[in-house]
Amino acid sequence: MANTLRLYLTCIRNTLEAAMCLQNFPCQEVERHNKPEVELKSSPELLLNPVLICRNEAEKCLIETSINSLRISLKVKQADELENILTKKFLRFLSMRAEAFQVLRRKPVQGYDISFLITNYHCEEMQKHKLIDFIVQFMEDIDKEISELKMSVNTRGRLVATEFLKQFI
Amino acid sequence: MILLQSHSRFLLQTLLNRTQNLEKGVELDHHWVEFDDVRYHIQVSMKNPHVFLLSVSLPTPSSETIFVCGLPFGAIEAIKAAYGNLVQILDPPRDGFNLTLKINLSKLPSNQEQKHAFLVKVASVREVVLGAPLRVVFQHLAARTVAPDMDPVVALVHRPNESFFLFPQADKVTVVYPMRFNDSIDTVLATSFLQEFVEARRTAGLNNTPPCSWSLTSPLELKGVPSDSLSANAGFVTFVIFPRHVEGQKLDRTVWSLSTFHAYVRYHVKCSEGFMHSRMRRRVESLIQALDRAKPDLEKKISNNRSFKRLSLKDSRTNSFS
Amino acid sequence: MDPSTSRPAVVIDNGSGYSKMGFAGNVEPCFIVPTVVAINESFLNQSRTSSKGNWVAQHNAGVMADLDFFIGDDALSKSRSSSTYNLSYPIRHGQVENWDAMERFWQQCIFNYLRCDPEDHYFLLTESPLTSPESREYTGEIMFETFNVPGLYIAVNSVLALAAGYTTSKCEMTGVVVDVGDGAAHVVPVADGYVIGSSIKSIPISGKDVTLFVQQLMRERGENVPPEDSFEVARKVKEMYCYTSSDIVKEFNKHDKEPAKYIKHWRGIKPKTGAPYSCDIGYERFLGPEIFFNPEIYSSDFTTPLPVVIDKCIQSAPIDTRRSLYKNIVLSGGSTMFKDFHRRLQRDIKKIVDARVLLSEARLNGEIKSQPVEVNVLSHPIQRFAVWFGGSVLASTPEFFTACHTKAEYEEYGASICRTNPVFKGMY
Repeated sequence: MANTLRLYLTCIRNTLEAAMCLQNFPCQEVERHNKPEVELKSSPELLLNPVLICRNEAEKCLIETSINSLRISLKVKQADELENILTKKFLRFLSMRAEAFQVLRRKPVQGYDISFLITNYHCEEMQKHKLIDFIVQFMEDIDKEISELKMSVNTRGRLVATEFLKQFI
Repeated sequence: MILLQSHSRFLLQTLLNRTQNLEKGVELDHHWVEFDDVRYHIQVSMKNPHVFLLSVSLPTPSSETIFVCGLPFGAIEAIKAAYGNLVQILDPPRDGFNLTLKINLSKLPSNQEQKHAFLVKVASVREVVLGAPLRVVFQHLAARTVAPDMDPVVALVHRPNESFFLFPQADKVTVVYPMRFNDSIDTVLATSFLQEFVEARRTAGLNNTPPCSWSLTSPLELKGVPSDSLSANAGFVTFVIFPRHVEGQKLDRTVWSLSTFHAYVRYHVKCSEGFMHSRMRRRVESLIQALDRAKPDLEKKISNNRSFKRLSLKDSRTNSFS
Repeated sequence: MDPSTSRPAVVIDNGSGYSKMGFAGNVEPCFIVPTVVAINESFLNQSRTSSKGNWVAQHNAGVMADLDFFIGDDALSKSRSSSTYNLSYPIRHGQVENWDAMERFWQQCIFNYLRCDPEDHYFLLTESPLTSPESREYTGEIMFETFNVPGLYIAVNSVLALAAGYTTSKCEMTGVVVDVGDGAAHVVPVADGYVIGSSIKSIPISGKDVTLFVQQLMRERGENVPPEDSFEVARKVKEMYCYTSSDIVKEFNKHDKEPAKYIKHWRGIKPKTGAPYSCDIGYERFLGPEIFFNPEIYSSDFTTPLPVVIDKCIQSAPIDTRRSLYKNIVLSGGSTMFKDFHRRLQRDIKKIVDARVLLSEARLNGEIKSQPVEVNVLSHPIQRFAVWFGGSVLASTPEFFTACHTKAEYEEYGASICRTNPVFKGMY
C-alpha cells in the first residue's frame, strides 16, 4: 500500500519538475496586465496539454500548465462518509487560510477537492524544488491527517461510550 | 467534565448565594434555558427574601407522550418524595411554565451538609421531573414486576417534540432512542460514535453494563408507533436495562444518564469537532513551515552578498588560504 | 419560523481578565469567571501514534487531554493543587492569542456553565474595537462549525457599553467609552453607534498594572506575604480596598494622622505550609488607582495621564461630535470600579477643557463668549459588566435576530460574512 503511494507521489514529483518551467508573460489582451494564463484559458497557444495522474478511481491529480502558471488539482481518497466529511472539513479549513499559503487556490477546480495555483512569481521568490517538496508533503500530510482524524474520532467515541457505560457498573 | 452533571450549575450557585445572604433583601428575577429546551425562571422579591420561586418549563411533548396536568406521569409524587414538605407546588404554575415551586429558604435544615444536599437536589429539579416516569418504571423493574396500568410501549419526551421509548417487562426494560441531528456533519460523527457504544460494550470490563445495539432502521419493538416520530437520521440506539442496573443507589444515576443520553452524544459530537479544529490548526502551522522552507532564507542572502565581496583583495586572500 | 429566535440569545463577553456570560434579557450575567484554561499537557507528550489496540491504556493515562481541562476559578485552583495542569490565558490585551484554548473555553462556557445547546440559541459575542477582521472570521468559523450556532453577532464592546445606558436614561449612542479592563485599556469615541476608528486611543496601563503596582509596593515595604501568593493577594487587595483620592498629598496626611482608620489588614493562609499570616495594607489603597492619573509613579515609558488621553481623543474626533462626546463619557470595565474614579476623572477633564476655553477667550480678547462645555463622566453600578449588560439589552430586541449572521448565510458565503456586523436599529 505504502509502496503504491510512493510511486504515485514520485510520478507527481517528476511531472511537476518537468512542468514547472514558468516565465513572465504579460497579458496579450489588456495592456500592463499579467494574468495566470492557465486560469484565463483565452489563448490556446499558451497552454500545454494537461496531465492527469490517477492512483485509482478516487485519488487523482490533474496538472495543467501554461506559459506563466501551473495549476495542480487534487482529489483525495474518501473511503466512507466519515472520511468524506473529514476531508471536506479539513480542506475548507485550509482554504480559509489560503492567504497564508500563497500558492493555495481559494476554490478547488470543479471535480477536485483542493487546487494550487503556482505562477512564475512564486517560482521566482521560492526555490522550485522546495516548492515541489511542499506539494508532495502536502499530499502526504493530508492523507495522514485524514486517517489520524478518523482514528481520533473513533477513539474518542470509544472513550465517550466507555465513560457513559461505566456509570451503570 | 465528560459526563453531564444532573444539577444546574447556575441554579445551585444562586441558591447557595441566597442562603448565605438571607438577610440581604435583593430583588432577583432571572430566566435561562438549558439543553433540550428546559427553561427556568427564578424570582425572589424584595419584600419576602425568604421565598424563592422556581419555575420550570419542559420541552413540548410529542403526540405520543402522555402528560398529566402538564407534567410527565409520576412527577408530582417524585417531587414530594424528593423534597418533602420544604417545597410547595404552586397551582396553577406561572404563566408559560409547567411547574412552579415555592421554596422557603429560612426553613432549610440547619445542618450544613444536609442543607447542601437539599440545595443540590433542588438544582437537579429537571432530573426529578423529567426522570419521574423512568423512575417509576425502574422501581417496578427492581421489584421485578410491571406496573399494572402501564402500556406496553411508553413514550417519554426528552427533546422538544421528540420522544424515546420504553418497553417495560418484568425482568428487563428496553430503551430505544431515535437519534436525530440537524447538521449532516453531526449526523456522520454521531453515527460513528454510536457504533463505538456497541463496540465498547463488548470490552472485558464492561460486561455488566446494559447491552447496547445500534441500527439504521427502527427496531421491531417500535412497530406500533406512528412513523413520523420514527424518522431518525442517525439510526436507533437500544439499551436493555436489567434489575442490576437500577438497584439501590444506582437508580438515580441510571435515570439521569438515560434521560440525557441524546444530549450527551450531542455534547461530545461538538467537543470532537472542537478537537479537530485544534488538530487542524497544528497541521496548518506545520504546512506553512514547509512552505516557508521553500523561500530562500535571509542567512543565505547574507552569504550571497559575501560572495560578491570576495572580489576584494583581502577576502580573496583569506579564501585562498582556507 | 426559527424556534431559536423564541429563546433568549446567549451573550458572552470575553475579556482579558474575566469572561461574563449569560442569557439576553437578564440584568446580570449568570457567571463571571476568569478567562483562563488549565490544560493537562502530560498526555500530549506521550506518543500520539500508539496503536489502536491499547486504547484502554490510553484511556487510563488520562482520558484524552482535550477533555481533561478546566476553566475559570476551577482552573486556578486545579493548577495550584496539581502540577499536571498548565494555565493558559487565551486572551491577551483584548485580542485572542490562543485559539485552541479559546475554543475550549467557549466549549466549557456553553456546555458546563450555561448548560445550553448551542444549536438552540443565537449568540452575541464581543470584541475589542482593535480586533482584526481575520480574528472575527476565526470566531465565526468556530461558532458555526464547532458549535453549529443558528446565528451570530459580534459586537464591539465599547458600543455595548454605551448601550448599557439604555435603561438608565434615554439611550445616547454618541459618547466616549473609557474601557479599562484587566488586560487592555482603550478610549473609544462612538458617534451614532459607529466607532470613530481613527480617534481610538489606547493606553498601556490596565487593571493588571494596578495589581502589579500594588504587589510591588507591598513587596518593597516588606509585607509578610508568601511570594507564590503575592500576585493573587495584590489582586484581592486591589478589588476590595483600593479607592481614588482627590489629592495624593492630602491622602498621605490623612493616612499618617489616623493610621488606625485607614490601614487595613489582610489575613491569609500560606498555600504550602497552611500557616496563617497577616499583613498591612497602607498607601497602596489610593496609590494603585493613582497610576491612571499620574502614570509616572509606575512607569517611565508612558507618562500621559488618562484625563489628557481622553481629552486628546475627543479633540481628534470630528468637530461636530465633540460637545456631545464630552457630555457622555461612559466608564466600563472592572478597573474603573474604584470608588470616586468617575469624580476624579470628571474634575480633571473639566479642568483641561476650562483651561482651553479660557485661553481661546483670552485670545479673542473676550469679544465672543463661548458656551461652556459640559463634561459628564457617567458611572453606574453595573459598570463591571456594562458591556455584557449592553449586549443583553440589545440581544433582547427583535431587530437583533435580523442583524445576526445566520448559519445558512455562513454556509452560502463562508466565514468572511463575519467581518462586518451591521449597526442595527435597536441600538438607538
